[in-house]
Amino acid sequence: MTRFGMLPRRLVHLVIIVFGITVVTFFLLRLIPGDPALAILGSNYTHTRAVAIDNFLGLNKPIWTQYGVYMDRLFHGNMGFSFFYDESATTVIVSHIAPTLYLVCFSAVLAALISFPVGFIAGIRSSGVVDQISRVFFTLSFAMPGFWLGIILLLIFSVHIHAFPLSGFGSGFFGHLYYLFLPALTIALGFSTVLVRSLRAATITTLQAEFVDTALMKGIKYRQVLWRHVFRNSVLAVVAVFGVNLAYLISGTVLVENVFSLPGLGTLLVSSVSDRDYPVVQGVTLLFAVLIVVINLLTDVVQAALDPRVGQEIGE
Amino acid sequence: MNRAITTQRRSRIVGAGIAALAVAVVAGCGSSGGAAPSLGTGSSAQNVSTLVIANAVKVDTLDPEANSVNESIWLDQNLYSRLLQPNSTGTGLLPDLASSWKIASDGLTYTFSLRADAKFSNGTPVTASDVVYSIKRSRAFSGGWGFLLTAVKTITAPDAHTVVITLSEPHAPLLADLAMYAYSVVPAKLVQSQGSKFFQHPVGSGPFMVTSYSPDSEVDLAVNPYFYGTKPKIKKVRVLIVPNDNTRVLMLESKKADIIENPPGNLIQQIDANPDLNVKLFPSTRVDFVQLDEHFKPFKSQLVREALNYAINRKSIVQLAYQGHATAGASFMPYKMQYFDDSISPYPYNPTKAKQLLAQAGYPHGFNAFLITVSGDVAGQAEAIVLKSELASVGINLSIQSYELLTAYNKEDNGHSEMGERYWTNDIIDPDEVATFGADCQGGANAFNSYWCNSQANSLVAKARAELNSGTRQQMYNQIQQIVYQQSPFIVTDYSPYRYGVGDWVHGFQVTPLGNYDLSLETLTVGSH
Repeated sequence: MTRFGMLPRRLVHLVIIVFGITVVTFFLLRLIPGDPALAILGSNYTHTRAVAIDNFLGLNKPIWTQYGVYMDRLFHGNMGFSFFYDESATTVIVSHIAPTLYLVCFSAVLAALISFPVGFIAGIRSSGVVDQISRVFFTLSFAMPGFWLGIILLLIFSVHIHAFPLSGFGSGFFGHLYYLFLPALTIALGFSTVLVRSLRAATITTLQAEFVDTALMKGIKYRQVLWRHVFRNSVLAVVAVFGVNLAYLISGTVLVENVFSLPGLGTLLVSSVSDRDYPVVQGVTLLFAVLIVVINLLTDVVQAALDPRVGQEIGE
Repeated sequence: MNRAITTQRRSRIVGAGIAALAVAVVAGCGSSGGAAPSLGTGSSAQNVSTLVIANAVKVDTLDPEANSVNESIWLDQNLYSRLLQPNSTGTGLLPDLASSWKIASDGLTYTFSLRADAKFSNGTPVTASDVVYSIKRSRAFSGGWGFLLTAVKTITAPDAHTVVITLSEPHAPLLADLAMYAYSVVPAKLVQSQGSKFFQHPVGSGPFMVTSYSPDSEVDLAVNPYFYGTKPKIKKVRVLIVPNDNTRVLMLESKKADIIENPPGNLIQQIDANPDLNVKLFPSTRVDFVQLDEHFKPFKSQLVREALNYAINRKSIVQLAYQGHATAGASFMPYKMQYFDDSISPYPYNPTKAKQLLAQAGYPHGFNAFLITVSGDVAGQAEAIVLKSELASVGINLSIQSYELLTAYNKEDNGHSEMGERYWTNDIIDPDEVATFGADCQGGANAFNSYWCNSQANSLVAKARAELNSGTRQQMYNQIQQIVYQQSPFIVTDYSPYRYGVGDWVHGFQVTPLGNYDLSLETLTVGSH
């Protein structure tokens, strides 16, 4: 088995998982009472008007036929037509991707920037000041729900200090970063806890490894040993944690997007469920599912790239 | 070994420094690259030209025929004009595109003369054929508002400035129907050529036009240079979509928004405590009620329904669910509208009488029932708790079931609710709409889905629709309101107002009982802040 020998099989898994997701989202969604006609008509709902809308949307056909139509369209790259936005679901989803992608990437980067140094220092000086303070701080930030932490950050940095905007997405790359700093920080603070703790643990374990002793005895400078041997080996252990939790982070965007009024996929998903906008919900769920499967796959690939033994284990 | 390391690690706190630096760099780049939105540059020394409104709900569409979300409807009204428009108290009609109209003596032919100076925001004139096209289009929209105009036989444009509508039978609400948002006038040629894409960048003849449209984050408006009416004093309106209640309040407190929609009840005091901010309440056509589903056996008895009305203390509901900012409910019709019968007063709180009535109906020990509420509806949840405790004292054991909005509505509409919290708001100023939905069991909504049926009420609703004499109509609607009041197919709990958080620097913001604020946007000013 080569380093990336597991790739083809994992790609087949991906197809099966995606197929499963289409089945689950399609039928679960239709099990919820309340239909698009009710969402469209609201308090002016009458049966006759609802039937007219159902006919128009093709919801009067048997559910298997509807699923057939959905899958047929999906194979042709068409996710269907959004009742609510009066546009193709693909267009709607694409127009909401940017804030979420920015948010996920920005918070992942922030989390790495925060947790790698803190976790590493807490590891090499375990029970030291950094370790103790970070333990308390990150346990607290982990325990705070995102929607609350977000409001507190807004209160401090937007209302009192006026350093950051209250809501919205801004324009241009740096504009986006500026507007997304608080939401990304909200997610990153919760996410960092796991990373700091696992990096700290990994660092402590690595420090006790024999190759560290060997390197020191060869007369390599302590700083170089820490950087080349200890950090690299410790981070490897964190990559898996990072990957798995990145999926968790995507789900975290839903609440944070609401607090900061970001027009992203999380907001879109929640509002589309309330509107029973079936094509959009199916599309976003599918996209999230594919993202999570791909991220997990990438995590394995990165691990394999960093450490050949991992690739062989996964492949076997 | 650990010890050896401890002695050597000295200066590696740089890592933390790098992180802090990176954060600062990101923040620094941001503030230079993406400047914070300016709230508009003042056109005069004191006033600001841009008004920022934060709404809680995204825009569903800017297509008037298909609108169903109130916030979007209120937005639409700034973009399009109609033949007529409701006045600021919601009790009469004003001319809009039609400068005058004539009704034939048989009540079957309406002739509208259009003003000659009306233009769309792209500069093309508004013609009678645009009006005819728009009304026909909205009327034909499946699931739309065509049912209001079933009495209409023909809609024609004999010349560029005249529209003639003929009816197959007299239809008193016609003018009110035509003043409704669904019958807004759009440019026929553009809509025909662009289809639904038109409504991404719509062109209308109202006071404002859309300059940028992102339905779930921000809609920007600018003054329509061709508007024929009073030119608004402000130049731009930014409508931000901010679903989170707390964030909206923070925006108002930090003056990043001038007006916020629907501040949550628990934060009203906090907003009022700020000397620069106010919570403004505007009387609405909203009626909050609890439907009593007649599929549930006890509610078939009028005595039981009456008993429930006596068992409920409307004052506690107003106090606890609406912080005192609502009016106890009596008639099922909104209290700020034409033909409201103000001689009807709320059922008094009288648990003893309620017990007697229950005993008389054969339920001396009460019964068990469930009440459907909408999850996330804070006022509704508080109301449910009041109902539960008050009904418990007359022996009715209520279990509260909370569902997501559409699930709740679905159960309530289809006769699976026993009891359910609902509300009504008017779309037109004429009572025909609310009477058809609430009192006529054949009107399509099963009398607000209580499945209560009264043939006298049914025929009165139909007669009042065809009656053109307003005195006679008043009598008929009084009679309908009396019947519904006595038979109580639902418990009218209260009339709750529209709630806005408004900065002191905004002068002249007003909302009509229908919820529209387009008239006030034409005159309001925004002071520096």
